[in-house]
Amino acid sequence: MSLNNVTLATATKKLYKYKLKANIGLLNSLVFLQLIAVLFSLNGVGQMGTGGNGFSINVYYYSSTLVIAFTMLWAFIHSIFLTTKTFRYDDFTFVSNRIASNLSNMVFLATASLIAALFAMFTSPLLKVIAYFLLDHEVLLETGIFYSPTELLLGFAATTLYIFLFSALGYFVGTLIQLSKLFGILLPVIFFGTLFVEARAGQSNLLITMGTFIFTESSFLLFIIKVVCLSSLLFGSSLFLSNKLEVKQ
Amino acid sequence: MSVIDCINVTKRYGRETALENLTFSIEKNKITGIIGRNGAGKTTTLKILAGYIQESSGDVKVFSEHPFNSLMVSANTIFVDDQMNLPSSLNLAEILNNAEMFYENWDCELAERLFSYFSFHPKQTHDQLSKGKKSTFNMIIGLASRCALTIFDEPTTGMDAAVRSDFYRALLKDYLAHPRTILLSSHHLNEIEELLEDILLLKDGQVYLHMSLMELKELAVGLTGKKDEIQKWISNKEVYYESRVGINDNYVVVENTFTKEELAKLTATGITISQVASNDLCVYLTNTSKGGIDDVFK
Repeated sequence: MSLNNVTLATATKKLYKYKLKANIGLLNSLVFLQLIAVLFSLNGVGQMGTGGNGFSINVYYYSSTLVIAFTMLWAFIHSIFLTTKTFRYDDFTFVSNRIASNLSNMVFLATASLIAALFAMFTSPLLKVIAYFLLDHEVLLETGIFYSPTELLLGFAATTLYIFLFSALGYFVGTLIQLSKLFGILLPVIFFGTLFVEARAGQSNLLITMGTFIFTESSFLLFIIKVVCLSSLLFGSSLFLSNKLEVKQ
Repeated sequence: MSVIDCINVTKRYGRETALENLTFSIEKNKITGIIGRNGAGKTTTLKILAGYIQESSGDVKVFSEHPFNSLMVSANTIFVDDQMNLPSSLNLAEILNNAEMFYENWDCELAERLFSYFSFHPKQTHDQLSKGKKSTFNMIIGLASRCALTIFDEPTTGMDAAVRSDFYRALLKDYLAHPRTILLSSHHLNEIEELLEDILLLKDGQVYLHMSLMELKELAVGLTGKKDEIQKWISNKEVYYESRVGINDNYVVVENTFTKEELAKLTATGITISQVASNDLCVYLTNTSKGGIDDVFK
């Protein structure tokens, strides 16, 4: 029997195709989660009120910020799932090595981020339509049912990048947990510990600095560079760390 | 040409040593049985060959490449066992389609025929299947993928007797039509005996024997007769097994180094000579004590 030779590119492509088929169910959970987020958002993500002699004004803000936040969480959690044994070992039943497995996961997560961002963008008009028809408001001041195409595209790109960044983070965290179960305890402790300590200290430290670094970038180009660098770093480390992981059933 | 070359392979899990200085090579297009007791290191060996796990030291070559992280080895090897990981999000028909995408030699027709012969339903998922059905389905993937190195690690777990014999027959037929290197580990040597050319007997993480099945059959003889009478003959021979039969008689399994004349004399003194079944012999060879479980109850 003659031997078949496979290049890394072919193996990755096949794994990617397989993952698209096998993980289509992720979309169900995404839609479900986003609908819940829409429901929560119907209360308004911001609110202010004022009043005077014989009148009062209440202003509610509706936006899909919460949907995007939920979507990021979804990306984070599902990336952790992708690193677990059930998903990892499936690759090795078919043709794979650790690099191809990781690369295909990465491309798959990029695709998932794109789809998730697209869905998230759709919820914004949905939210406003629901608010208009179902909620009893006197005046609806529309800031943007009709965004300019550039704005829409920018928003879409930024959302995709944020979601992708969170999936990279989840993937890295998942890989660490696969290396040692200890990280499963250690990482939440470190995260929440820092949160509490910093809150008590009262000044902005690590977490806030990191948040500002990613979330308040005003130059889009710089933002792209930041996200691409950070995700490459995270995926690169995951690849490096998981290159020795064995397949033990 | 050898397909597998292992030189001084050692595998440790923490403090536990699973394999110790394993050295063997397996030739192309042979069916080799990997035999050994529980914990002898069969699965560890096979997983190292499939590139699933990495040896702690030593040199492993499959198709002249180190299997761990080798795409070439992965593309030409399939590892089938009862815990084979298959996605639960796809149904059985979709899994077969996927396997077809990955394995270039995939025989679609064979897969479909076996699929309907064993009456699987295309819409079922793998985790809905019973234990025996799972093994049967895994076996279909193992056969249809036609990999140059096909590894079956206790493939018949949970299968009923009818399916087991069907499986062996299917394996043999497909092997004859498309010869390839097959490694088959099993606890039931008597069942797979007719399939095997070579056997690799592992004991405590080491190669105990690696020979053809014909040679194994010649390796030992069983003698039954009066205890004192037998004792005279076996004093300078290696005894693999000893047990009492009846009141005064003994049954011993010893290495077969008797000449024809000696055998004739043996028969003349009232000792019965018998062939030892390969399965029993393997059990005797890998026993830690000569009397087996009986020694515990002495």
